[in-house]
Amino acid sequence: MASLTLKDVGKKFGKTAALSGVDLHVEDGEFCVLLGPSGCGKSTLLNVIAGLVPQDKGIIELDGHSIDRLAPRDRDVAMVFQSYALYPHMTVAKNLGFGLRMRGVPKATIRKKVLDTASLLGIDGLLNRKPRELSGGQRQRVAMGRALTRRPKLFLLDEPLSNLDARLRSNVRLELKQLHTRLKTTIVYVTHDQVEAMTLGEKVVVMRDGEVRQTGRPETIYSFPADTFVATFIGSPEMNLYRGMILHNGEHPVFQGRGFHMDMGDLQLNPVDGEVDLGFRPEDVKIVEAGAETLPVKVEMISDVGSEKYIHTQIGREHLTLRAPKDASFRPGEIINLTIDLTRLHIFKGGVRMD
Amino acid sequence: MSREQIEHTIIRVLRIVGILFFVLMVAFPFYWMIASSLRPLEEILMNPANLGLDFRKIDLSAYYNVLFDHGFVRYILNSLYVSIITVALSVALATVGGYAVTRLRFRGQSFMSYSILIIYMFPAIVLVIPLYVIFSHMGLRDSVNVLILVYLAQTLPVALYMLRSYFKTLPLEIENAGLIDGCTRFGVIWRIIIPLSAPALASVGLYTFMIAWNEFLFAFMFLDTPDKFTLSRGVVQLAGSVHLSKQLVMAASVLVTLPILFLFLFFERYLARGMTSGAMKG
Amino acid sequence: MTINSKYHRESRLAFWMLAPTFAVVLAFVVFPVLWNLWISLKPVSLADLRGDALFQFNLSLDNFQKVFSDPDFETVLLTTLVYTIGGSLLSILLGLMAALLLNSRFLGRALLRGLFIAPYIAPVVALTFTWSFILDPQLGVFNQFAVNHGILAQPIPFLSQRWLDLGIIGVGFRIPLALFSVILFEGWRYFPFAFLFILARLQAIPDEFFHAASVDGATPFQRFFHITLPQLATVLSTLFLFRFIWTFTKFDDVFLLTRGQAGTKVLPLNVYDYAFGEFNIGASSATAMVLFGVLAIFIFIYFRWGMRIEN
Repeated sequence: MASLTLKDVGKKFGKTAALSGVDLHVEDGEFCVLLGPSGCGKSTLLNVIAGLVPQDKGIIELDGHSIDRLAPRDRDVAMVFQSYALYPHMTVAKNLGFGLRMRGVPKATIRKKVLDTASLLGIDGLLNRKPRELSGGQRQRVAMGRALTRRPKLFLLDEPLSNLDARLRSNVRLELKQLHTRLKTTIVYVTHDQVEAMTLGEKVVVMRDGEVRQTGRPETIYSFPADTFVATFIGSPEMNLYRGMILHNGEHPVFQGRGFHMDMGDLQLNPVDGEVDLGFRPEDVKIVEAGAETLPVKVEMISDVGSEKYIHTQIGREHLTLRAPKDASFRPGEIINLTIDLTRLHIFKGGVRMD
Repeated sequence: MSREQIEHTIIRVLRIVGILFFVLMVAFPFYWMIASSLRPLEEILMNPANLGLDFRKIDLSAYYNVLFDHGFVRYILNSLYVSIITVALSVALATVGGYAVTRLRFRGQSFMSYSILIIYMFPAIVLVIPLYVIFSHMGLRDSVNVLILVYLAQTLPVALYMLRSYFKTLPLEIENAGLIDGCTRFGVIWRIIIPLSAPALASVGLYTFMIAWNEFLFAFMFLDTPDKFTLSRGVVQLAGSVHLSKQLVMAASVLVTLPILFLFLFFERYLARGMTSGAMKG
Repeated sequence: MTINSKYHRESRLAFWMLAPTFAVVLAFVVFPVLWNLWISLKPVSLADLRGDALFQFNLSLDNFQKVFSDPDFETVLLTTLVYTIGGSLLSILLGLMAALLLNSRFLGRALLRGLFIAPYIAPVVALTFTWSFILDPQLGVFNQFAVNHGILAQPIPFLSQRWLDLGIIGVGFRIPLALFSVILFEGWRYFPFAFLFILARLQAIPDEFFHAASVDGATPFQRFFHITLPQLATVLSTLFLFRFIWTFTKFDDVFLLTRGQAGTKVLPLNVYDYAFGEFNIGASSATAMVLFGVLAIFIFIYFRWGMRIEN
């Protein structure tokens, strides 16, 4: 196992920058998730780490040694691909042992390691089959197994669960987590699914347009998003976010949004000039009886997701979404009153978090 | 009957008539080639319009004659040698080159693809005189090995183009998996690309074999020594020397036709696919 | 360290992987064309091939003048065009018919498909000798059978007679018989090429089109003219371009069938005849250059127009 360090890595395809100035450090044994919308450069970053795509600038170090000049085969990394990329002309056993065979490991050792991996993943019964005879879930396991057999310094996983159906996906996610706890391997995992990122990652790296927007523990990223992109990208339903001004006219600061205003209570704020973005998550809103400091909103639509309800409302000329218990019953057009947990307000100036 | 039904009936009749017409038109010359090669010369002369083949009177002497008296054993070996070497070289070089054009990044990549296509359309008749001149000048003309090089130049661009189109359909991730699992570039080609491309390689090989086996113009122009003749060259030679013995010429024609037809029957699927993937020339 | 070392490594690898192909093509395709240009501008006879005369700098346009001022040049050019266009159209027409016949599924279709491709697969020498034999006026089965059964009054020398006078309903006219026969052979031998392409295209037309048209009330013939044929327009025109290019420069078939006798002399045969009939290599090369020039125009058309459509 090993630690991974990236310094100022950049990559251009033609004129578009796929990666710019990426810095990253993954501890030995850490599960690091690269999260971002499609086209954000996360897969390119993975390919750069693997050595499949050369970076234009920057350094990649494994255990403190530069691996920039090494071919993929010499970097001692393993990769699980989105399409699994199993060799269609080889049996499962051959697929699992291929990496070792290429490295001249004796046959007996290969056989033993293949059997170990197969039993670890519960695919012992499939060893003599060809990939086309396997189900999607079985293929996925073989793909993981192929990476595991070799016990490399670093595992790279490129959206390994995205081709599984939803139910299977959450099972495999759980197994992956347990596997990592048992084997203590260093993992870089690419996904666009925030649930995967939050449940699997010890460290989450949020990327957009080839840049790292925030790095941190999942709960940090959720509770203290560094900018408006991270704030809205993470969390479902999305964070409520409003453009407006903070006015310090009366005894309390007041947020003036489009068509509404909001008393910010005793919140200690340094005065800010100009527009800010104010955000709060749907679960930090409570429905209350009308009162002096409550916020009246008009119910527009209710989505019932079973375990709870999302209430979509109108506030001024903006929309506000909140989470309500499953037994809440409102009808569209009704006026309800809200209070917002002011300790959980997020304020962004120029898109960047203010503290 | 509705118009729909009337037309359906017409179409059914047309189809049966059409298929019979085509089967007769295509199969008859092949049947006649074989039948005449088995029929003694007197029989042909006496009764040229006899369509049937009397199995009691089958006469294999023409084959014996052609093979042993007219040197066709030698020609068959020469043709096999030329064709097999051409196939081996062409497939090997086209695999490596096709991979380079598909997957590696280098300057002039798109130029390469265009020039392949242009060369695909170059006609042999334009090349044969200058090559004849230069090889005569160097004293190299009358040689099967030179012939192989010429055939290679005829088949390589097309073979490369066919394989390139096929390689493009192979998922990049599988190659990346191979690179990470420890293959070199050539390892990827040998252990992953080639096994996955077996059908395409078969069709390229077959196509190349067909070109080399059937080729007439260069063999006719270049080869002077009977010992070096390929089959096509040999048949023309034979036809010129035994003008009247149609039986011999037909037996020789059968000898040059049957191997390629059998090979083709075995691999028909691949060949049809290869043809429509922009491979054939003629 | 050099960030781009991997790119350079790949470039170098690509170079070596393509080098053999490049060398072969350069030596046996590109060089001959340039060399041909050189020869076509010099007085070279068949006897000069061993000496140094090949490399003397004595260029002129004499060979081209000879080629263009040949009294037969226009006839040959016209014959070439008739042969090329006739052969191309016939092979595509037969290919279209064959493809339509085999478009629907039935028992033995695969077998027939294999059979239909045979004329294209078999060696040209065997096929030309077989057809010459079949059409032979004395020994050929076609003529003998037709005469014996009263279909023909007398045998027709298909490959050795220039004109055939025909009288139908009192109107007499003459057809170029040998050229006609050669064009028929061309259509027979190359229809499989068109057949395969058209069949592939036919099978790619979505069934929904036909279902929609049936629901809209189109009968089978209407469906053919309003859906099938327009869907085939691209492949038919591309095929014509390809067949035209290849037939225009085809040597083997005509040479083996008639040696260019009886009004079947086409330009590619002139290349051969100048070199080995008149021992005039220079004129032969000049003829090849003319062929090449016409071809270049068509290749240009293909790239400007054909490529766009194919993509």
